[in-house]
Amino acid sequence: MTRQERAAWLFCAPVLAIIALVFVLPTALAMALSVTDYSVYALGDWQNLRFVGLGNFVDLLSTPLFWRALGNTLMFAGLGVPMAIGTSLAVALLLHDTTVRWKPLWRVLLFAPYVTSVVATAVVWRFLFNERFGLLNRALGAIGLPPVDWLGNPHTSIPAILLFVTWKTFGYNMIVFTAALSAVPQDLMEAARLDGAGSWRRFRHVTLPAIGPTLLLAAVMSIAGFLQIFAEPYVMTMGGPAQSTTTVLFFMFEEGFKWWNLGQASAVAFILFLMILAITLVQTRIGRRYEWL
Amino acid sequence: MDATGWTRRAVLGSLPALGLAACARGGDDPLRMWAMSWEGDYSPLLMPPFTAATGVPVEVQSLPTTASHEKLLIATAGGALPDVFMLFNGWVTEFATIGAIAPVPAPGLVADIFPGVLASTRVGGRDYAVPWSVAPQVNFYRRDLLAAIGYDAPPGDWDDLRAMALKLKRRRPDDYVFLMLLNWPTALVNILSLAGATPLRDRNTRGNFRTAEARQAFAYYASLFADGLAPKALSTEVQDPVAAFAQGYFAIWPSGPTTLRDLAQRGVPPERWSTARCAGPDGPGPLSGQSASLCVSATTRRPAEAWALVRHLTSIDSELHFQRAIGNLPARVRAWASPQMKKPVLRPFAEQMRFPSPDPKVIEWEQIQIQIQFAAERVVRGLQTIPQALADLDERVDRLLAKRRSLVEAGKLA
Repeated sequence: MTRQERAAWLFCAPVLAIIALVFVLPTALAMALSVTDYSVYALGDWQNLRFVGLGNFVDLLSTPLFWRALGNTLMFAGLGVPMAIGTSLAVALLLHDTTVRWKPLWRVLLFAPYVTSVVATAVVWRFLFNERFGLLNRALGAIGLPPVDWLGNPHTSIPAILLFVTWKTFGYNMIVFTAALSAVPQDLMEAARLDGAGSWRRFRHVTLPAIGPTLLLAAVMSIAGFLQIFAEPYVMTMGGPAQSTTTVLFFMFEEGFKWWNLGQASAVAFILFLMILAITLVQTRIGRRYEWL
Repeated sequence: MDATGWTRRAVLGSLPALGLAACARGGDDPLRMWAMSWEGDYSPLLMPPFTAATGVPVEVQSLPTTASHEKLLIATAGGALPDVFMLFNGWVTEFATIGAIAPVPAPGLVADIFPGVLASTRVGGRDYAVPWSVAPQVNFYRRDLLAAIGYDAPPGDWDDLRAMALKLKRRRPDDYVFLMLLNWPTALVNILSLAGATPLRDRNTRGNFRTAEARQAFAYYASLFADGLAPKALSTEVQDPVAAFAQGYFAIWPSGPTTLRDLAQRGVPPERWSTARCAGPDGPGPLSGQSASLCVSATTRRPAEAWALVRHLTSIDSELHFQRAIGNLPARVRAWASPQMKKPVLRPFAEQMRFPSPDPKVIEWEQIQIQIQFAAERVVRGLQTIPQALADLDERVDRLLAKRRSLVEAGKLA
């Protein structure tokens, strides 16, 4: 080992040690927990702890609420990712237009929700969604539509929460896309225009390939984020109505921290980890094929 | 380096030392106490006499009720429990089982407490907590709204109550008669109790919901929603039930003594509301009167002072003080002889306390109640029929009790 390498290891050592202590070790312990039946009884007396192998996983697969939570989470991700990324991209394109004035002001205003507190804004949105007094239903009433019980109806609760999540998070990707758009070469754009390409074809064949890698990154981050959605349903609906907004992470939280079935909860965490890993691998494959990575 | 010898590095370097010094501070440390609900906010009111008599200051932390169970469990696992804390009576078995709380050292501490309530804090023949209050539910009702259709008070049996409710609904079609939040199990658990249902069987190791009583209770509960007498609302939707009650959004509210405080604090005129015992199939019946208790952590380093604080907080004087301040009802029977307990709105509570119904003493009872409510919600929302929901409920409860069942069968648990 050269002197330089030694110095490099020395400088990295503190960070590596912290990562090992607060990330690798807890992850390993959680994996170990997931093959035990650690519960509140074991908290009282270690004698009550048993090794159950894959028992927790088998149990989970026969728990209706777990499947329900999985379905709800996939629904959140399936609807939420296109909604959030689509909004971000659309707004970024609008802001990128040369005719828009006061761009910095718009960027700040549209980015602001992202840095506000989830709990505070969720409470405000709960008022907006209120069936009797909510602003949203007032607006529907003004155009002659009947009121919707947004958060109280199992069929509208996920879309309602997604509206809030989209509003809350689109600002981040919007800024990322704005940066990517400014890197799209202008000469290519002009060449395409001279060749007679309309605005859609210019977007499809010039802008999109140029921002492809950014789009992939945004998709990976968004999917990972939506699969771990927790705070919004926790604050807005507490998993209801009729458990229609209970997500995998919410299920894990209730099992683990509320009822102390940490064995079961660790198994859920492990499954979620595998899911996110698998989806990210697929996305990376897609990225490689289009030479974005 | 300047003349004083202080550099930025020296100052920053001394910060950890300051932190350590702060931790090592000893002597007159305050006793720490955690409590939920109004008790958490108002306990400091009861402290001056204790601090004056013993010289021990007390630091009270108020916990949000909905997050208190996980906070207490995590504190147990992390060894961070305060010296004294409040537990809802249904949690005492759990915290005693996991060794978080110390047994009551002197029988005098639990003398003169409602026997049914005291039984809920007894684990394996020992008392583990001192009941602080009792809280049977009663129907809070709007006197003016009921008077307008010719009733002084809501009737005590289900059929008459429904007839009254339908009459009120015809008169006020845009409002409701009852408020029973769809994610709040107490109202339904009480209806089950009034119908005479026994929720668990086989030494509390299996669900027992496929019974005539449970079907009757579920049918009655669901019919109130089906007939438009109660809104299909969650607690997250009715953000301010007290205001809604004051506005007449609903006229009858099954609730506990904390509502006494809510109504007084929000200035709802006393002539507009009153209380009555909850209705049962053939008139009022037994209900759980359980509320909250005070416990001492098993790991406290100052048990004598902690128990002295519990003794002070659960004294008749303190309980009556709390009754005036936050509506809490005393757990000590003799306190009820006080003139302040003779107010008409307290009479239904006093009568209800003579008909206690015990809750099943299993750690999982809290979770089971939530499952009962989920089952009812599915029925109310038309996702399942009552027999389907009850069969599902039995299965889910059996699953929740699997660990307990294996321990009971192995003889490790009484």
